[in-house]
Amino acid sequence: MEDKNDILLKQLFEQAAQQQIEDNGFTERVMANLPERSGYSVRTLSRLWTMFCLIIGVLIFWLASGYSLLEGMLTGAKQMVMTTIEVFLLTAPTTEIQVNPWVLVLVAGFVLIFLPYQTFRKLSATL
Amino acid sequence: MTSISDIALVTQVAVFHNKQAFDQLVRKYQSPVRRFFLNQTLGNEQLSDDLAQETFIKAYMNIGKFRGMSSFSTWLMRIAYNVYYDDVRARKQTYDIEDSGALRKSANTSDQNTKMDIHAAMALLKPDERTCITLQLIDGYPIDQISKITGIPENTVKSHLKRGKDKMANYLRENGYGG
Repeated sequence: MEDKNDILLKQLFEQAAQQQIEDNGFTERVMANLPERSGYSVRTLSRLWTMFCLIIGVLIFWLASGYSLLEGMLTGAKQMVMTTIEVFLLTAPTTEIQVNPWVLVLVAGFVLIFLPYQTFRKLSATL
Repeated sequence: MTSISDIALVTQVAVFHNKQAFDQLVRKYQSPVRRFFLNQTLGNEQLSDDLAQETFIKAYMNIGKFRGMSSFSTWLMRIAYNVYYDDVRARKQTYDIEDSGALRKSANTSDQNTKMDIHAAMALLKPDERTCITLQLIDGYPIDQISKITGIPENTVKSHLKRGKDKMANYLRENGYGG
């Protein structure tokens, strides 16, 4: 319930509450005095450096016939994976692997709790 | 919660460093922020504008820290409150003396000017009481929002409001208001 003081002050403050202050160049003054945000120039330089490295990388790749090199690497990797799977399939039924249940709990906790938490934290920090 | 347009503007400023978007935010909130300072400084326009400018510059520099958990205006008013208190601390020696003496005198010579009388009554209040009173009676914030802006517990805000209102009402009655 409002007492007498509340009523008196509300009446007097009514006009003050509706007062709108004209801009009169205030916004322009603020905008003119805004400093460069720290980190902004660093970020710009960082982006330019990334772009520069990317262009140089593409140029080297193209000049050194990088595609055939890449193709050779992929073929080698594919053969390595196939061999590994083959060896695993041949040895797995006869190999007994000791697994510590606490390690399993830790890994499960990391995957099910820590990773989603970190992802959520980083996303909410960005947004 | 903060309005969609505010979130969009803040994102533009924080992510793309879009000064045009910040220009719109300043235009939108300059009136409440300057009015807040005008009431805290008891009508000192020059000082109010300087403090308001400092508030917007700080908001711009720290806009990346705005998480959208409260409205943008609450976040901005919190910065304004901190800027005001930094200024109060810096001027601690002379502030109260300047305020109360000069303004009470001017109120007596122009008793038809309600605005001056309100400022004179507010000069009687402690800075915390004045802030709570203006945030509630002029800016229309509820007690929980005042608590968020000032960082003062809700019960203390209520005490400040009660004491502040009593002091102001007594002063105003002595000067012929409220019949």
